[in-house]
Amino acid sequence: MQYELRYQVIEAKRQSYQNVIDRFGDQPATRYQEATLDVEPRENFHYRPTWAQDRELYDPRYSALRLTDPYSYADPRGFYYTPYVTNRAALHDEFGKTLTYLEDRELLVTLPEAWRSVLGSVVIPLRHYESGCQLVSVTGARFAHGTSLAQCCTFAAFDRIGNAQMLSRVGIAVAGGVGDTLTTAKQEWLDGAHLQPLRRLVEEIMVVDDWAEGLLAIDHVDSLLFPAMYAGLDEKALLGGAGAYSLVAQYLTTWFADQRRWIDALVSAWRGDPEHGPSNTAHLDRIAATWGPRAEEAVGALTAVVAGRLDGVAA
Amino acid sequence: MTQAKPRAKKLPLKERYALLTRDLDWEPSYVEREKLFPYTSYEGIKIHDWDGWQDPFRLTVDAYYKYQAEKDKRLYAVLDSFAQSQGHLGLADASYLNAIKLFIQGVTPLEYAAHRHFAYLARYLEGPAPRFAALCQSVDELRHCQTQIHTISNYNKYYGGFHSWSKMHDRVWYLSVPKSLFDDAMTAGPFEFLISISFSFEYLLTNLLFVPFMSGASFNGDMPTMSFGFSAQSDESRHMTLGLEAIKFLLEQDEGNVPIIQAWIDKWFWRAYRMSALVAGMMDYMLPKPVMSWKEAFELYFEDQMLGGLFPDLEYYGITPPRHVEDAIAEKDHLSHQVYKILHNFSFAAAFTTQTPSEEHSAWLSEQYPGSYDELYKPVWDKHARTEAAGGRIFFQGLPQLCQVCQVPMAFTEPDDPTAISFRTSEFTGETFHTCSNGCKWIFDREPEKFVQAWLPVHQIYQGNCGGPSVPEVLDWYGIQDGDNGEYKGSPDQRSWAEWHSGAPKQES
Repeated sequence: MQYELRYQVIEAKRQSYQNVIDRFGDQPATRYQEATLDVEPRENFHYRPTWAQDRELYDPRYSALRLTDPYSYADPRGFYYTPYVTNRAALHDEFGKTLTYLEDRELLVTLPEAWRSVLGSVVIPLRHYESGCQLVSVTGARFAHGTSLAQCCTFAAFDRIGNAQMLSRVGIAVAGGVGDTLTTAKQEWLDGAHLQPLRRLVEEIMVVDDWAEGLLAIDHVDSLLFPAMYAGLDEKALLGGAGAYSLVAQYLTTWFADQRRWIDALVSAWRGDPEHGPSNTAHLDRIAATWGPRAEEAVGALTAVVAGRLDGVAA
Repeated sequence: MTQAKPRAKKLPLKERYALLTRDLDWEPSYVEREKLFPYTSYEGIKIHDWDGWQDPFRLTVDAYYKYQAEKDKRLYAVLDSFAQSQGHLGLADASYLNAIKLFIQGVTPLEYAAHRHFAYLARYLEGPAPRFAALCQSVDELRHCQTQIHTISNYNKYYGGFHSWSKMHDRVWYLSVPKSLFDDAMTAGPFEFLISISFSFEYLLTNLLFVPFMSGASFNGDMPTMSFGFSAQSDESRHMTLGLEAIKFLLEQDEGNVPIIQAWIDKWFWRAYRMSALVAGMMDYMLPKPVMSWKEAFELYFEDQMLGGLFPDLEYYGITPPRHVEDAIAEKDHLSHQVYKILHNFSFAAAFTTQTPSEEHSAWLSEQYPGSYDELYKPVWDKHARTEAAGGRIFFQGLPQLCQVCQVPMAFTEPDDPTAISFRTSEFTGETFHTCSNGCKWIFDREPEKFVQAWLPVHQIYQGNCGGPSVPEVLDWYGIQDGDNGEYKGSPDQRSWAEWHSGAPKQES
């Protein structure tokens, strides 16, 4: 049985905003669509930027990678602001709970020496890498052409600060609640020979003029770094008495899987674009050829150190 | 002797926050600093110590997500329930929605612009602490833009004028007023943007530019917009503290910054004040249940709080109240009436409707404006009322001349003579440019090479860039649909409203 509630029905004059109707017909639209499609201004800009006199405030020329219609790309996660913060609130809430558990039982302070050394001189310094990635991603938040792309970059930029803060909190916990590990880790980032290829690489990517090239150069590093440093150390950690590391590293692995979704879809959209596809593909290949080997070198320097320090620790 | 477990130490909050934010930064050594931050020197601002920035709020990323997700959960619950219960039928009147049409066409796109350009600051400011503050604001502004789109989405289904807000912001004549203001700020350097938007817009004039819409919502039964307003309040208070910290930081860094910032305050006060003219017209004429008059709001939020409260504090740094502020004070009895006259005359080309104030509304205006309304403006409305009683409606035939700077039609009067239209002219590269006021002329003369670039909607129509030479062609190009525009009485909104309230609603189960 169910009761019969009578309510007033008024016929809608239209189901969505006109730009959405123009694309999909007059039918109910998703909140993602209404919040994303055609939001970025397109034309009739009043003045030229004093910091880029030959371009408009919004201009496809900020990157060599182009989409005929930026809204042919949609974030496969469907993130606009609210689902984004809701998703990340859960991720960071879980992380916080895990960290508190580890802190209460001093499981990070009492990590085996080899693992403490790996964390202090390789993993925790990556919080600076994350910070550099933030600077690169936020360039896309400003210069990507189309709200569909720009908002992904915005979320990615904020994510990177989140990652940096997760790593920093692990660093504070490893030191038993103080900043000492963060201080030595920063010194490693600045001077440690094993970290210099990565730092040099990130600094060079930070000054790349084309926002999309910067984003993809970082992604070449991420694609090697995340599997190697987080998921890739899982087994060794669990077998080597460093289960605590596995527990915190899983959140970065989760994040990276999420990051892959929108970037992979974007790369496909670039390659498959009806008008710019061939030129995009050439640029993508050039970007891979330029930055791929550099990424291998930089991440290789870190994995070598990790392997050396953990040698004999794992069974 | 048993050894006590070492107690977990705790970092002081300020130090912990610094470790989680500004300490992430490092001095680059493989690339030139100037190449990394190429835009922080050309405006003449000198910063000696970026670490002198005091974090105006301490919000870590995890806390940010948590608060914002909770706030949005509450906000969207209100939106859903309002939509489900046909809450729009409980508005004070359908004509109220004209204010919200102006809001989504004029203000929501500014939230988006702020989102994008705070990302620019988050990239290009040299100090990591202000960069992080700018990043937070960039994300917040995206929230405001998107939650506004969703808040108003339900009205769009039942009423005209909302459907093409984004295209309209790029094209329609009265929306070039807010658009050109933000374009002006974004095309400037990073420090001028910070002063224009964070300080002048978000701090100095926010209670006159933004809040009147939210208060209007609350008085007129618009629960979704009011809920949005409350939900944005804590974000806005962070933005206001950022604006205040920004100006103090820049002023403290170098004495040479003071005259530069003074000139920006002078410019951006007038720029934002001129844009607020549209809000003034909205407050006094579009709300079926008015909140307070423009004049009262101006006196309270600007004269008392800013001139009386903020500027005495800034005097310590050598900052004086904005240039031309006396002209703004002198016209507070006139501004809203003059602007609404323009909107009323030209609403055949607008994506909202206008109407002659009712007798009751006119009586309220006369109470609020004892020094000007009965003498100067009531007679005009009485004339309109007589014409309308005879079945007519007066619209202005032809196109108005626009101010080269603020882009409002040139209908403002002289500060000392409310019967004489204020015209100012400047010569630049052999051409004459027209401005509406001392303030706009001063702004033009300071940066003529910038303001000659303005995309003036009326000029563009005459140049044939707006869909064609006739009014219907231009309206079509604007994206205005039949009945979005013109007179409220007899408009589709008004007729639907009457039908929905006729006492015989269609009922279905």
